[in-house]
Amino acid sequence: MYEFVSGPLLWLSAIVFVAGFVYRTVRLFQLTEKKDVVLCPVTSPKDKPAPSISAEEQKLEKIARFQNSVLGRHPVMVIMSALFHLCLFLPVLFLMAHNVMLHRSFGIRLPSIPDGLADLMTVIVLCGGLFFLARRIAVPKVAAISSGADYGALVLTILPFLTGFLAHHQLLHYKSMLTMHVLTGDLMLIALPFTKVGHMVFFFFFRLTMGGEHSMGRGRRIWST
Amino acid sequence: MTDRADTKVDPDRIRGLLKQKEGRMRTCLQACAGCSLCAESCFLFKEKDNDPQYMPSYKVIQTLGRLYKKRGRVSREDLERMQQLLWRNCVLCGRCYCPFGIDIPNMIAFARGILRTQGIYGVFPHTSGSPEAEFGEAAPAQDGGTPNIGDLQEKSALTSSTGA
Repeated sequence: MYEFVSGPLLWLSAIVFVAGFVYRTVRLFQLTEKKDVVLCPVTSPKDKPAPSISAEEQKLEKIARFQNSVLGRHPVMVIMSALFHLCLFLPVLFLMAHNVMLHRSFGIRLPSIPDGLADLMTVIVLCGGLFFLARRIAVPKVAAISSGADYGALVLTILPFLTGFLAHHQLLHYKSMLTMHVLTGDLMLIALPFTKVGHMVFFFFFRLTMGGEHSMGRGRRIWST
Repeated sequence: MTDRADTKVDPDRIRGLLKQKEGRMRTCLQACAGCSLCAESCFLFKEKDNDPQYMPSYKVIQTLGRLYKKRGRVSREDLERMQQLLWRNCVLCGRCYCPFGIDIPNMIAFARGILRTQGIYGVFPHTSGSPEAEFGEAAPAQDGGTPNIGDLQEKSALTSSTGA
């Protein structure tokens, strides 16, 4: 079983992941086009007139602006979300055990993070997963828009980390946990471009390339239809 | 509630309209991670004691999302429920903020357009259905005449003070 999930199934998952990722990106570019007008002109800080309010008022304005931002209103959610997503990627790409396999199979060398740090990151991901799950169940506004797809995406994201943690610490049957770790990792790869987890593609495309009031990049594209 | 309350829903027309922006709208619906961070950007959500039905993402998922999910095969009752979400629960002020950059007002406007083709629409700002039902004698004239704002405020204050 382990040979199958870490051999043919892993190859299939990798192909589906890359193809799905490319499809999503190409589709987003097909649905949008470069705009030739500036929708939201942004004044450069240099061109802005000097503020007519006192330093004290400026300070109060900054505080009010922060309090009304997403971070100001939901500090726990934003910090947990940022940590969770950071810890999702780093151990996958830079875990020593993953890198050894990459080197053996393809001769690719990536920098590795210490096992202790990877362990801590995994615990953060697991705690983050529990936090998001509890939030989805207990907070009425989140529960109101949660569907099976949202719960499924969350479980699918957490499982490779949970099984990897259990396998690494040999808390349950090692071989079974290792097989489950690879299998859930494969499923995660397959699901990534086609499920709610696909927001990893959408987020960067929408916020960096699409024009709009909240665009973080140059925002030079608009929807074609 | 509607001009054509007794008429049948035309699923083919709805499907045709959904098709026009299918790629864009389905992408936006899929991009919603259900984080609920848009909630507090809606003043109606805050005004209505954090009722989830006033949350921007809820309004979109339960209207446009539902139309796409059912491929236009919805009943008039479904459309009338959507009417409440699209007109009573939203003034289309355009201030909703999505951390993912989804253009929520555009989606709500699109859904409103679809409902209008079925004879369902809001007839007064921040309400839906018959103005008489909401404001009684102070309702705006049916011919599009301007309502007496003073009367409306008075009536509104009266209903809130009596707990009606």
